[in-house]
Amino acid sequence: MTKIPSSSHSAEDGSNNPNPEVRASITVTKDQGREPRIPATLGKLHSLKGKKKDKHHRRVRVAAFRYCYYAPAFKYFVEQVLDADWLPLPPATKHTIEVGELNSVDYVCTPFKHMLGDYIDALDAGADILIQVGGPCRLGYYGELQEAILRDMGYQFEMLNYSEGIEQGAIGWGIQSIRIVNPSVSIPHALRQLGATANMVEKLDSARDFFLANGGFEQEAGSFDRAWDRFIGAMNEAASQTEISEAYRQVMDTMSTLPLDKPDRPIRIGIVGEMFTAIDERSNLDLDHKVMNMGVEVHRMMNLSNRFIHYNEPNMRRSCAEYIALDDGPTSTLTVAAAKKYAEEGFDGIIHAKSACCTPEIDCMPILQRISEDYSIPILYLTYDAQTSDTGLDTRLEAFYDMLAMKKAKSLK
Amino acid sequence: MSEGYLGIDIGSISTKGVVIDQNHQIVARSYLWTEGNPTEASRRVVRELEEQLAGSDIQIVGAGTTGSARRLVGAMLGASVVKNEITAHAVGTTYLHPDVRTILEIGGQDSKIICVENGIAVDYAMNTLCAAGTGSFLSSQAHRLGVEVEEFGAIALTSKRPANIAARCTVFAESDLVHKIQVGYAREDIIAGLCNAVASNYLNNVGKGKKIAAPVVFQGGVSKNEGVVHAFEELLDMEVAVDPDGHLMGAFGAALLAADAGPITNATSGPFAQGTFDFEEMLDFQFKTREIECGKCANHCEIICVYRDDDIIDSWGNRCEKGAVKTKA
Repeated sequence: MTKIPSSSHSAEDGSNNPNPEVRASITVTKDQGREPRIPATLGKLHSLKGKKKDKHHRRVRVAAFRYCYYAPAFKYFVEQVLDADWLPLPPATKHTIEVGELNSVDYVCTPFKHMLGDYIDALDAGADILIQVGGPCRLGYYGELQEAILRDMGYQFEMLNYSEGIEQGAIGWGIQSIRIVNPSVSIPHALRQLGATANMVEKLDSARDFFLANGGFEQEAGSFDRAWDRFIGAMNEAASQTEISEAYRQVMDTMSTLPLDKPDRPIRIGIVGEMFTAIDERSNLDLDHKVMNMGVEVHRMMNLSNRFIHYNEPNMRRSCAEYIALDDGPTSTLTVAAAKKYAEEGFDGIIHAKSACCTPEIDCMPILQRISEDYSIPILYLTYDAQTSDTGLDTRLEAFYDMLAMKKAKSLK
Repeated sequence: MSEGYLGIDIGSISTKGVVIDQNHQIVARSYLWTEGNPTEASRRVVRELEEQLAGSDIQIVGAGTTGSARRLVGAMLGASVVKNEITAHAVGTTYLHPDVRTILEIGGQDSKIICVENGIAVDYAMNTLCAAGTGSFLSSQAHRLGVEVEEFGAIALTSKRPANIAARCTVFAESDLVHKIQVGYAREDIIAGLCNAVASNYLNNVGKGKKIAAPVVFQGGVSKNEGVVHAFEELLDMEVAVDPDGHLMGAFGAALLAADAGPITNATSGPFAQGTFDFEEMLDFQFKTREIECGKCANHCEIICVYRDDDIIDSWGNRCEKGAVKTKA
């Protein structure tokens, strides 16, 4: 497939690319079997190799892909931990996914396409460094592949790829971050702020849990959304642990006093599934709001806190030992454990959301079918590709809700 | 005068309409091809229903729509209920067959399975991503074989040795089919093989992981094909019931839901402006759909606007309030 660079790129002006023939020479090396990483000519941004904490370092602009409501945490990490400039991205548009899709392999998982589009947006807005994370599924290869694609498109940047250095664990990541982003970072300060970043993630998730459980019953339309937007705004401004705690206290105060029309036994739906698609609103076509707005109490165990900060996989697997014996993939244990918990607690239904071609979550589906039979709880399976039309989704959700509502009405009689 | 309710199911291939009386009995029915024009098809359905009602004292006081064009036709009719086809089918079928446990449904572009316990739908699945083995596939293959799709079932039943046709995917099924035609298989064997392929594809995809308990009711346009009914009975090893009105079940369900919602009393314009359904009103007006790209933010939502003559009567597709269109209801 021809890679078509997006319309406005910064690398085309020639100023920070002294050697315009560099693309051709890369192609030659590539044909002879190149290393996976292509060394870029960085222009003003010097290679940092061999120069410790030196005066040649300039401040860099760091960007990450768009991920659910976690942008404030990424920002805090970049500004407070790495002490670099954060490049905020505007909300994703149709153009983002179009250009991401155009430059991706067709059969790659959908989050890859969204992230690639985000990176292109970020580079067009002037990012120097892109952050990519690693993971035990195909996610682990995203960084390297996306870097190669973006370089082939002609972009010049550095990739802070956390699937590299993973062999040495946290220390490898530390070295990686210092080498690429900021050689003069203060380590004790960075560690303290890393704790605050984790705390911010927990606060964001905790507030979101409350939002999902109650937002569908608001008396005044949009009151929860407004509180949430203010909260995200405050988290974006936060520069210390105190400010994080204060923003959280405020949003919880606001949301817990908003008037609700909540029945005694509302319909409760648990969302389980793959880490990106089950949470990220533009990938799952605003699943949270669609379900909430039907008048449903929504629960979702899958979030960054539960997957990373409080994650004890062997323990969690023991809670559903009759269904899984092995750690089956990055989010499989959490998906199965959450589904079983919802079934045991008498939820009305479960929605399983995943991106097309997500192998670990496809492996979970037969297990979920057993849970569905054992506890007679209906499960709606949703598969997302880079689609933008939500007509089919609306039909399925509406039918799922009707079914749960009729079942509930009958059981309450 | 007695009260009646109208239900219309506008599918991708066919459009169905029924009128039910106070006792929820179907008193008028219509079934015809959508032919890619849902507004015109529903008009023709309404005209047919009107002709069948001539001479009776039934006045239509409410309407419901379902099927993939439910929103558009719902706006045209001023319907009180606009429901998805899964709920409509479940409601319609469980009313006629209160003891049903499994509903198999194969329509023009989609297929679904609904599991029922004690008259309440408890689980369902609908085909995703792929339209293999639906009615439109059978139609196109009938065209290739030079027979009418309506004759398919009768021909299939005459076969003694159905051909083995790959069921997994339409593309594979089609190349398998062409191959077997070209090596000279008898036509009835190929047609019977196709019917088997549709049934096993359905059970392997849509029905996967679902417990299929008797009594089973099979409906949707494809249920009119005895070949597929027979294939289901063989594969499931149980009796599969097909209601004579099975193809109308979505429309019947929509009419029942409209009856539950009660008469429309507050319409200021449209066919229900006088309280009872005015056939002329609906037949006279021109309905148009236009797509507008909202330019109020960077997302550029496609907003779909439905016009009655020159008035906007409904719009949808915007993702935020900025794109909300003022409608003349």
